[in-house]
Amino acid sequence: MAAADVRDMLDLPAEGQPRPHKKQKVVEKRPEGITRELFALLGERAPPIAINENRYKGRPKWMSKLRVRPWRMTPFVNGARSDGLVLRHWQRQHEPAKVPALEGSEMEIEKKEETADTASAETPQQDSMFSKYNVKARVPNRYTDEEYNRHLKSDDWTRQETDYLMDLVEEYDLRWVIIADRYDYQPHPVDTETNANALVPAKRYRTMEQMKARYYFIAASMLALEHPPSEMSEAEFELHEKMLKFDADRERSRKELAALQLNRTADEVREESILLEELKRITANEQDFITERRELYSRLEVPISVGNTTMYQSSQGLSQLLQTLLQADKSKKRRSILGPEAGAAPSPASQTPAPNAPSSTRDSRADTPNAAPAAPTNKKAAAAAAAAAANKEAQQSIRTLTPAEEAKYGVQHHDRLAPGVQFRSDRAQKLTQAKSNVQTQKLAAALAELEVPLRLVMPTERVCKEFEKLIHSVNLLLEARKVAEKVESEIRVLEAAKEERERKVKEAQEKDKPEVKSEQEDQPLPAVEATDGVENIDDAAEGGESGEKTGEVERTSHKRSASVLSNTSDKSTKRQRK
Amino acid sequence: MNPSVPPSTAEYGGDEVSAIVLDPGFSTTRAGFAGEDTPKSLIPTYYGKYSSDGQESFVFGDDIFVTPRPGLSIHNPMGRDGIVEDWDMAEKVWEYAFTSRLTGPKPGNPLQNGLNDVPEGELSTEMEGVETEEKLLSDSPLLMSEPGWNPTKAREKTIEIAMEKWGTPAFYLARNGVLAAFAAGKASALVIDIGASNISVTPVHDGMILKRGVQHSPLGGDYVSSQIRALFKSNTPQPISITPHYLISSKTAVDAGQPPQAKYRTFTPERAPDASYRTLLEERTLSEFKECVVQVWPGPNKLSAAGPNGVSNEELAKSNPGRPFEFPDGYNQVFGVDRYRVVESLFDAKAAIPDPESVFPAPTPAQTVPELIKNALNGVDVDIRPHLLANVVVTGASSLLYGFTDRLNQELMQMFPGPRVRISAPGNTAERKFGSWIGGSILASLGTFHQMWISKKEFDEHGPNIVEKRCK
Repeated sequence: MAAADVRDMLDLPAEGQPRPHKKQKVVEKRPEGITRELFALLGERAPPIAINENRYKGRPKWMSKLRVRPWRMTPFVNGARSDGLVLRHWQRQHEPAKVPALEGSEMEIEKKEETADTASAETPQQDSMFSKYNVKARVPNRYTDEEYNRHLKSDDWTRQETDYLMDLVEEYDLRWVIIADRYDYQPHPVDTETNANALVPAKRYRTMEQMKARYYFIAASMLALEHPPSEMSEAEFELHEKMLKFDADRERSRKELAALQLNRTADEVREESILLEELKRITANEQDFITERRELYSRLEVPISVGNTTMYQSSQGLSQLLQTLLQADKSKKRRSILGPEAGAAPSPASQTPAPNAPSSTRDSRADTPNAAPAAPTNKKAAAAAAAAAANKEAQQSIRTLTPAEEAKYGVQHHDRLAPGVQFRSDRAQKLTQAKSNVQTQKLAAALAELEVPLRLVMPTERVCKEFEKLIHSVNLLLEARKVAEKVESEIRVLEAAKEERERKVKEAQEKDKPEVKSEQEDQPLPAVEATDGVENIDDAAEGGESGEKTGEVERTSHKRSASVLSNTSDKSTKRQRK
Repeated sequence: MNPSVPPSTAEYGGDEVSAIVLDPGFSTTRAGFAGEDTPKSLIPTYYGKYSSDGQESFVFGDDIFVTPRPGLSIHNPMGRDGIVEDWDMAEKVWEYAFTSRLTGPKPGNPLQNGLNDVPEGELSTEMEGVETEEKLLSDSPLLMSEPGWNPTKAREKTIEIAMEKWGTPAFYLARNGVLAAFAAGKASALVIDIGASNISVTPVHDGMILKRGVQHSPLGGDYVSSQIRALFKSNTPQPISITPHYLISSKTAVDAGQPPQAKYRTFTPERAPDASYRTLLEERTLSEFKECVVQVWPGPNKLSAAGPNGVSNEELAKSNPGRPFEFPDGYNQVFGVDRYRVVESLFDAKAAIPDPESVFPAPTPAQTVPELIKNALNGVDVDIRPHLLANVVVTGASSLLYGFTDRLNQELMQMFPGPRVRISAPGNTAERKFGSWIGGSILASLGTFHQMWISKKEFDEHGPNIVEKRCK
């Protein structure tokens, strides 16, 4: 059936002239096994097709050379059995090594095989491959009478019962569940028939723990008898320790707990699951909180980008950026999918109405002039309309708030915004950091005295403001104290100088020496220099107090070291005061 | 992997020795070759006995349902507790189970098979010394199953029959609970077997039953049948009587609830079969009823209890659409809530329909399935209880009652809200019916099982008591 026939059937308009491609198509190589007509139906770029030949495949040639391998019902014994039970199963006959070439020799070989078969049938030499799975658990060596009497005697267990237990353990390969289930020791199995009337001691019920305790004791003792603990290998020693440490009481109480756990009521189970769920929720929340916090801090630590944005601040620059973005966008999208005008129209600014919202104050003002003309050209008219409506609504909804409302909604007006994000608490924190360590410590001491924590517990706006005020007044106070101290010290110095002068005058009246005079000139100098540092005031005050006049010059030249030492000197002054 | 190629024996550790697996039950006896997935031979354990020409004759197999011979009476060699009572007949029934389909009858002694009858006193001397008799099972090892509470004497008798009468080279006696667990692919499981005469709960650990945990009670499929009979008796407007097919020669369709219009066949007293024959065939109709109509209330609570929103479960059950059933005589009726009631006493002893004529006494609470499970679990170590609950295996043909596993699941969840309860019940009816046989088929075809067989030699050495030592 040709393509023309199909057209005819489907009432499609016949093509005016025979297609010029047709000849070319024939030239195109037709795969084998497909008829010409069928191939003609496949048009251009036919998908790859697997061609199934409708023909009997038969066996591969190499297979016909093989002989059918015979199976025989062969007897075998299992090495794990002691009685040599012969069972029979089907097994593939072993092939002779090479395929005989001549028919005559084949016959001979078959005969040989037969004789071999009959021989093997009579004497099953072959061992079962499964006998290797016959493994037994390792049980300790049996004790002798002497060993038992010397080491293993117990008030609770008779020799017979111990034997019975050991037999059972061996029989059931240490499966304690089954041993405890089958444990049924008759104290006098022989006597029961002869003197049934005699008093038979009441059959005792042994718990699994009792059995285990007895067995582990015996096993550990036997192990220790075989090798003293000092000579044991590590594994043996571990086993020995483990067996010795078996605590039947503890095991029993554990089982009681397990039974309790098993027999919980539905309510208890529900409660437990609820509690577990709650716990899971709490820990998950905590984890979330921690990660969020860490993220926030890490974000704060990121250096604020200081790229040059001046080129984007003019409208020209912005449109240039838009063009480059569009170019990048276009190259990604395929032209066939995107319409010609659609490719140009959508701009990131007009597609996303979000920046138009008045919530972000500064950015929106910059964007609106761009967005407004772009909106009508936008292909997505609906989106634009919605954005415009939102815009209008937002403009209508703008209203001036009264100061009370502002306070209520937490609206703030900033004169100048610092770039980047920061914590309010951090700002408050910064206030407590003075330029110098001493000042900081003093601030902290003052705050501690006022019982205000250094890090604010609840740094709301108002609290921060109050805190700021507080710090400010504390600073003022400290300043005032500083000034007061300074003045005081100056007074003292001057008084001392005055005294000195008076004394000198007296002395001068008596001797009139020149060396004292030079000292006298040095005196006011440290006091003047000390005004720029707090510590130096202290020093100066100290100097004034103790009247150490000789070290004064040295100290001013090593301001730094003096400031470090100031603490200790402070203490010494206090002591002196006391 | 090519599904048409069987897995190599090395993959599953199989090594076939053409063993025969025989799983005798109260209602049916299953037999087949090990390694197959269903028993080839499935016969009723019931047998028919009649006398013809003054000689006692027996009918075995499905033939017992077919011909109402005069004086034919139906018997069962098993007791209601699953233990063999009539050993001679049990042997014959079991023999029939494997000779009819598996091995074929072996040529008997040519002196006795009737072909070589010679006149009295002319017995040829050459024949005397020849050992001609070939035993039935002389070349197949035999694996048999038994209930977990089988007494030692019955076990010894079983191995004697297998070894001495049938001449099997190797024998093993396995608990059917263990085999059902193996069929579900588990070495440790809590096996709940709902049979015809018994329900049993068997804890299995590492392929061995825990004797202290084995529980059984007579509330099996036959008990459900007796409940259905009680229901029919108390049916309104008129009690329903079951007339088996063999008593009906023709019938016409009637509307639901209308009295049947059928012509009955009558037997003269000397031609009539025994009453037990009629009972047997009535049971067949009842099992059909159980398959089509009876439904277990799925829970979450008892049928008599109140539901979650104040409406009693019985009301809810009433609102479910009924199920119609047509009896052999054409009588038909739609069964509503009654179809839940007849099985409710498996879970709730108080819900039993009273019937003074029934052979079953009113059930006690300890005989219900949940109680049996509870007692079984209390009989085993606490450490393995959660494991057992996570491996509950449901088997036995009566467990195929519609909604049974749902209810069982609900009951177990209510009893043990803490541990995870997981029921493994094969959806395939054959796997559920023949659970223990399939387990036996798996076990007997394993290469590692060869060392477990009790050989003829061992039996000769130690006597029948060896079964106690080896089949633990």
